[in-house]
Amino acid sequence: MHREIVEQVLQDYAALRRPDTDPELEAVRRTILLEDVFDIVLPDAEIAPALLADASAVAALVGRLQGTV
Amino acid sequence: MCGISGIVSFDGPPDLALLRRMTARLGHRGPDGNGYYRDRCAALGHTRLAIIDTEGGVQPLCNEDGTLWVTFNGEIFNYLELATELRHRGHIFRTASDTEVIVHAWEEWGPECFARFNGQWAIGLWDRRAERLVLSRDRLGVRPLFYSRGPKRMLFASEVKSLFADPSVERAFDPVGLDQVFTYWSPVAPRTVFRGIEQLEPGHYAILDRGGFRKAPYWRIAFPERGREPVQETQDNADALRERIIEAARLRFLRSDVPVGAYLSGGLDSSITAAVIARYTSAPLDTFSLRFSDEEFDEGQYQKKMSAVLGTRHHEITVSPADIAAVFPRVVQHAESPILRAAPAPMFLLSELVRKNGYKVVVTGEGADEMLAGYDLFREARMRSFWSRDPASAKRSRGVELLYPWMVRSPGQAPAFARSFFGRGTDTDDPAFSHRPRWDSTAVIKRLLSQDMQDQIERADTEDVVARMPSDSKDWDPLSRAQWLEMTTLLAGYILASQGDRMLMANSVEGRFPFLDRDVVDFANALPARHKLFGLEEKYLLKRAFADLVPDDIIHRPKQPYRAPDAASFFTPDRPAWFDDLTSERAITEAGVFNPSLVSGLLAKCKRTGGKSMSNTDNMRVLAVVSTQLTHECFISARGREALERPLPDPSVAVDLVADDRSMS
Repeated sequence: MHREIVEQVLQDYAALRRPDTDPELEAVRRTILLEDVFDIVLPDAEIAPALLADASAVAALVGRLQGTV
Repeated sequence: MCGISGIVSFDGPPDLALLRRMTARLGHRGPDGNGYYRDRCAALGHTRLAIIDTEGGVQPLCNEDGTLWVTFNGEIFNYLELATELRHRGHIFRTASDTEVIVHAWEEWGPECFARFNGQWAIGLWDRRAERLVLSRDRLGVRPLFYSRGPKRMLFASEVKSLFADPSVERAFDPVGLDQVFTYWSPVAPRTVFRGIEQLEPGHYAILDRGGFRKAPYWRIAFPERGREPVQETQDNADALRERIIEAARLRFLRSDVPVGAYLSGGLDSSITAAVIARYTSAPLDTFSLRFSDEEFDEGQYQKKMSAVLGTRHHEITVSPADIAAVFPRVVQHAESPILRAAPAPMFLLSELVRKNGYKVVVTGEGADEMLAGYDLFREARMRSFWSRDPASAKRSRGVELLYPWMVRSPGQAPAFARSFFGRGTDTDDPAFSHRPRWDSTAVIKRLLSQDMQDQIERADTEDVVARMPSDSKDWDPLSRAQWLEMTTLLAGYILASQGDRMLMANSVEGRFPFLDRDVVDFANALPARHKLFGLEEKYLLKRAFADLVPDDIIHRPKQPYRAPDAASFFTPDRPAWFDDLTSERAITEAGVFNPSLVSGLLAKCKRTGGKSMSNTDNMRVLAVVSTQLTHECFISARGREALERPLPDPSVAVDLVADDRSMS
């Protein structure tokens, strides 16, 4: 289930957003999205430019923070 | 679109001369005709802006046997489908108007008829046999409906000035109504700023008979529990939203017997409505735009681009700060309420342009920001919520730069601004978490109030709009709660009223709003919140649904809220002559709302700079003072009371059963 929604969110994000030029701000933007959609709280260390780059990693992160994996 | 009025009196026939005076004060809402009906308990009045069945749709209008009469302001856009259904059920129609559908629908379904209507309306229905008045207002408050109830009779009308045609109606400010304006930007129905005058809540109907007065909702603003929205797939929802908006725009463009134009602001919403009309109808389209001489507010380049893309005949008016100041008294006279922004003034001038070009109906993009989450307030709430999860995080604090890109260019100011931004309203469990900062910053106006007004507010039973939130709203997405508050307060009380209906009808122009279509609203409210506000991307689904119809740079341009040059207009050397008298110590004391010395200090401060670099707070304070004083002058003090009464031409409908009875006896 996570995986499907994660993939949809990544596709939706890619469909409209132009990435911010500042990588850290882009990471913050992605964190806001993930936290809202999945009702999770990311520690600062996870708010990183690579966030949302890969569906498998995001699914694993969401699962871990939701306590489901 | 029209003006309606009425009197119900169970103690003797209503005064027909009073009804005619009430109707005369609504002449601007309906210059194409007028009419009245009276029997021994009720009188209905109507001024008509003829749009559908221009020959046959005169009002008041009755059923087959003359026992049920209606006076109606608005449009029922699905009237053809309803008429077909009613004919199948045996009802006989004499006209091709949507008005007659209301009469037969009430006969067939009673109060349940209102949920079947897709439109924008204020209705007064009088059932002679039952001696019962029924009032109804559309779901979100597009059309206004005010009333004054006394022990022996009740008056109702489209505008308050019509009720004031009766000298026995008290003319005084309602402290709670003012308190609401100085918090929420507008009174919240049923309140108004006038003591003893109420407005029917949107989505409600009311009944008055010998058993008394009672109200009930036929529709409520509602959202599903977060996570239980019926459709989760983005593309499915985008397709369905597009389909509904296209149908809503087509209905509003095609269901008219007079030509329909479109507003084009240069933003996403009106670009979509105009583009849909241009693509999905064959009629030529005229578009109308507002430009500002002040570049800070002007959106001309986007308007021209969109007009060129659509191939419309484009009309524009350029408004200067002096224009706004000059027209401001007339704006308040029509708004019938203090206003905290000057934005209605250019809208008044825009509808004047429409009318001068021979149009009396326009389609606009109003409602998209509320239904599909376009306002900055929604993004700000999400950002504050994000930050509050770990206030110590330096990364989270940077989020404010995503809302206000100028901070990237002013890094020195960023930390202080972020502290101020995030420090406002930090209780995420507050159902009004989204709105608390706006309400708190608006409430600074109340520091200017006179001691007497403060005491009156203190003594009064003030009403917290948050207490009205549905009990299941705790399970909604936080965005849904914010949308509920926005629809209940600002949309109905200001956007559709002071900035909408009143500024359009002042020049006899009807506005039609596809984003407030019944099916669009119900669909939008059932969407997952992330499809509306996707992270920080506002109106995500709308952009996706219409990406092929609107140029990329309009889709992707940063949201520019509609703004107009505000209070600075009153401090330039060419300010209007009435300003100093209106804000003099004598006038402020006479109105009794504000403390004269505090107002004097505020105005002196603004005059020193010639209105330059005024803070948002001072802007709002000045407009609050000026518009409150104008409201007092127009409606409460002796001056200006009769200003909008205009002679009525001969009525198209003149039914007086009282006179008939007298002549027969």
